[in-house]
Amino acid sequence: MSSRRIGLLAFAAGLFAFTNLTFAADPIKVGVTIAQSPPGSVSQGTQVKDGAEVAAKIINDAGGILGRKIELVFEDTQGIPEKARAAVEKLITRDQVVAIFGEHQSSAALAGIEVAHRYHIPYINTNGWSDVIREKGYAEVFNPGNYNSRVAIAVADAMKALGAKRVVSFCENTDYGVGLAKLIGAQIAERAPGVEYKSETLDRAGKDFLPALLPLKANPPDVVIEIMLPPAAYILLNQLNEQGIAPSAKTWVYDASGIADYPDFWQNISDAGKNLLVFGLYHPKMAMPDLGKKVAADYKEKTKNEPNRLLFQAADSLFVIAEAIKAAKSTEPDAMIKALEGMKWTGTRGEVSFSTEKSGYKYHQWLDIPYVTFEITAVKQPVIDMKLVQDPGKPLDTSRLEKAK
Amino acid sequence: MLTLDLLINGLIIGVFYALMAVGLSLIFGILKVVNFAHGEFYMVGAYAYTLTALMLGLSPWLSLPFAFLIGLLVGLIVERLLMRPLYSGYTSWGIMRDEYAVIVTFGLSLFLINLVDKVVGPYAYKGPALVEISRIALGPILISGHRLIAAVVGIAVIVGVALIIRYSFWGRQIQAVAQNRLGASLAGIDTAKASAIVFALAGGLAAVSGALLANIFNPTPDVGVFPAIKSYVIVVLGGMGSVPGSIVASLILGVLESFGGVYISYQYRDTFGLFILILFLLFRPQGLFGEKTREV
Repeated sequence: MSSRRIGLLAFAAGLFAFTNLTFAADPIKVGVTIAQSPPGSVSQGTQVKDGAEVAAKIINDAGGILGRKIELVFEDTQGIPEKARAAVEKLITRDQVVAIFGEHQSSAALAGIEVAHRYHIPYINTNGWSDVIREKGYAEVFNPGNYNSRVAIAVADAMKALGAKRVVSFCENTDYGVGLAKLIGAQIAERAPGVEYKSETLDRAGKDFLPALLPLKANPPDVVIEIMLPPAAYILLNQLNEQGIAPSAKTWVYDASGIADYPDFWQNISDAGKNLLVFGLYHPKMAMPDLGKKVAADYKEKTKNEPNRLLFQAADSLFVIAEAIKAAKSTEPDAMIKALEGMKWTGTRGEVSFSTEKSGYKYHQWLDIPYVTFEITAVKQPVIDMKLVQDPGKPLDTSRLEKAK
Repeated sequence: MLTLDLLINGLIIGVFYALMAVGLSLIFGILKVVNFAHGEFYMVGAYAYTLTALMLGLSPWLSLPFAFLIGLLVGLIVERLLMRPLYSGYTSWGIMRDEYAVIVTFGLSLFLINLVDKVVGPYAYKGPALVEISRIALGPILISGHRLIAAVVGIAVIVGVALIIRYSFWGRQIQAVAQNRLGASLAGIDTAKASAIVFALAGGLAAVSGALLANIFNPTPDVGVFPAIKSYVIVVLGGMGSVPGSIVASLILGVLESFGGVYISYQYRDTFGLFILILFLLFRPQGLFGEKTREV
């Protein structure tokens, strides 16, 4: 070999090493799809964004993953399936993200996972509750967030504990809303067979729900279950209260969507919030792991707001991606998926592990998500003062309830 | 009792529809264009009312006329900057290529929605109630205090506008321009000024409608989209350019949606108006109060 060739080889080797070094310093891009404009729930989108940014800062301040920083790439889906599909496509093909998380509306998640599945990119479903997301059985999709079957069982048990005879639910016309309303019906039939259950679907872009509510005035049910997201959920609750239907001495309102800890809740709800029973995935009085306390403190410092469940769900979504990369020592999809399947890691809300049982909603789902029920006992009440009426893992304690007068 | 409940609720909603539709109808009557940004005048009014009351601590009774003035001002600015160049120099609308107006107002709609989204934010805000009485009993019927008072204010505004248009100096000039723009111009009427007044008035009316509903519909940047669609339906049902037609069609639509939502299906409530619209277009295309015309 001539000295000229040896020189060229040495130059090429040096260039390769230099390029590798540069790559090593490059950030790991992670895609985040959220609603940042209507008709999607911007309240939720903002909470997820805050949670993602808090978690990214914690990871990066600790030196990043495999010596590389995390870089978040946000895309607005407006909660619309077509936009969610386009957002995931763009994140994968143009931004070259290694994983995607953040979606908080089931319809958008259902569209997004199709693209992630096609490109075989890990997709962490932050807050899509629809069981159908799990039932698809996609290897790329992992669910550290809540799921409809979980809520349906909780609601059915609560109806039984409340001694309800007649229950009416109002659900939004989305995969999440309609799916959860059906599941609640099925669970009530199974776990509280004496309860009469009826569901009414409302347009999530609707503003005047009175024609759907007025027939209840003559014969109010024992419980009205609300399965909607803001702003429609706020309008529904206000109009129920405005007509004197609920909350009342006869009728409870059960918020199955857990909207009471949204930052704009009291800005949009007045008297209608008092005596509301809320399905909650977070309450400040719940016991939390150290990581949860750290995320809560950082969030408070960053936004001056009180923490909420979506903050922790978003943070956990990014943390599990980071843990998977760390365990796999790679950003290769197959290695990350394998690491996620074998994960046992303590996150912000407890020990996260994903079921590999391929049956219905259980596939790649963190099954043991802690939940509580709390009651709002005063107007403008901060979450910390909302009364816990069901502790994690315990049944609803009816002796703690305060009925409306 | 349910029937009475539905009737009253339908009529109240009809009043709010009428506030929107009358402005749109006036614009069409005078300018012969469909204003696709009309829903955004409604949105601007809703925000003007809510934010001045919540952030500046203004009384809702002062925020309401303030919202009207803001709508009036926005209407005036839009007419001067965006609409007037379209017909400046033309006496007759026949010469005007009014498809430009469609593009301009559609662009304005998107601009205003996004402007408010970025400046104010995408969150919903519940506007303050005009009265602190949560419910008022009308015999066996319970109505929220705000809803009832807002409807009364809405009726007063509509009656006021109808009287102004029918009997005032400028109202008569507007009627003349609506009947024949060229003829009105030959009679010495300032048609440009009449157009400006109509656009400003329409903006103000839509803004009042948005303000009155801000306590019930919690405004977001896209809050005007649905009412605007309903207004287009109403204007066609009532007869293009007919103010009385718009009022009657608004009340009919409100009541129809209220009863249909219970006795047919709530899920198809927003389609009732469109269904009636199709029937009208097939069997009475001139609408309730419109006149059959033929261009030669």
